[in-house]
Amino acid sequence: MHIPDGFLAPQTYLPAYAVAAGAWAWAARGLRERLDETTVPRLAMLTALAYGLGLVMVPVPGGTSGHMLGVALLALIFGVRLAFLAYSLVLLLQALLFGAGGVTTLPINALAMGLIGATVAVATKSLLARFNETAAVAIAAWLSVVLSAIVVALVLGSQPLIAHQPDGTPLFFPFGIEITLPAVLLPHLVIGIGEAALTVPIWRYARSRKWCS
Amino acid sequence: MNPRCWLVAYLVAVVAATFVHAPALLAAALALALAAAGRDRWRLLKRTLLAILAFNLTVSLGYAAVALWRGDFNPHYLLLVNLRVLLLVFLGIWFAARVDVVAAIGVSPTLTFVATLTLGQLRAFERIVKDFALAFASRSPAPPRLVDRARHAAAQGIALMDKTQAAATESALAMRSRGAFDA
Repeated sequence: MHIPDGFLAPQTYLPAYAVAAGAWAWAARGLRERLDETTVPRLAMLTALAYGLGLVMVPVPGGTSGHMLGVALLALIFGVRLAFLAYSLVLLLQALLFGAGGVTTLPINALAMGLIGATVAVATKSLLARFNETAAVAIAAWLSVVLSAIVVALVLGSQPLIAHQPDGTPLFFPFGIEITLPAVLLPHLVIGIGEAALTVPIWRYARSRKWCS
Repeated sequence: MNPRCWLVAYLVAVVAATFVHAPALLAAALALALAAAGRDRWRLLKRTLLAILAFNLTVSLGYAAVALWRGDFNPHYLLLVNLRVLLLVFLGIWFAARVDVVAAIGVSPTLTFVATLTLGQLRAFERIVKDFALAFASRSPAPPRLVDRARHAAAQGIALMDKTQAAATESALAMRSRGAFDA
């Protein structure tokens, strides 16, 4: 789902950096308040776990695969602030060390997957947990993937409108929302099921060890 | 130049590249970067090409198909976007190969510390995932069913959690014994 470098116009990523900077400052305040000898190593390890879960290929009918975000899991264990910070760190390391994503697309990727994904996961679970906690976690994980995918699709699809030549030729990502929305969203409706299927057992495992905040 | 200066130079170059819309200028910048990268330039270029191949090929072919169908195909766009992505990703991979990334992004001791621990775990997780994939392949003489692949993915997730818990406990004990939390 990561948007690579070179497909977002500066008119998109520079304001996004301003928004993300505010969100990172807000999230870091939460980190400092909760920092102790247990949370620091655990945050580092679960940040790496989110990256590791991204390497776990989830089968999608038809023989293809997708990968988990892991952000719902982080959010349900640590809350939105730490999940957002941790996932931003994952994205930064992936961009700098592995060429996945990029530094120009970091704020959009972080806001879409890290902040919106985490917020949606926590809000959904809070709303639905009174009915059935396991189902609430599954729906939260699915929705975190789907809504993140919608945001990524909308940002990508807006690029031809934001930056183009006088003759209408795009300067960055070439496809409009009418193409990006179905192209990004439809596979993630299925990938979200895989995310839910992996998040539920791992969340139950974490809860049984009292990791959840 | 220290890592922080390299980071600033890298970020300035990246932002500048996104304001350039002339393929000739981007090609010149790429040639300059290749020349400056030294003996590792071809290895870095190969890594760059592998990193961008799937996404750029998909976007380029998709653009070509849609634009030809609409009748507004513009080869200038394909040249521009592929050169820009190639330059940006090459700069990133060159930067990561040349500079200690953790030292460069270490705006605070906490972030540096978390990033260092995370990187160590990333390497461990990569090894675990590779081991799992090889083991699964060796146990699957016929193409695995969907349910087998799902079970394998779940087992992999649990193994990563176990590894995480053990590593977190180990790190906390090691840090405490070295006085990391005494302040």
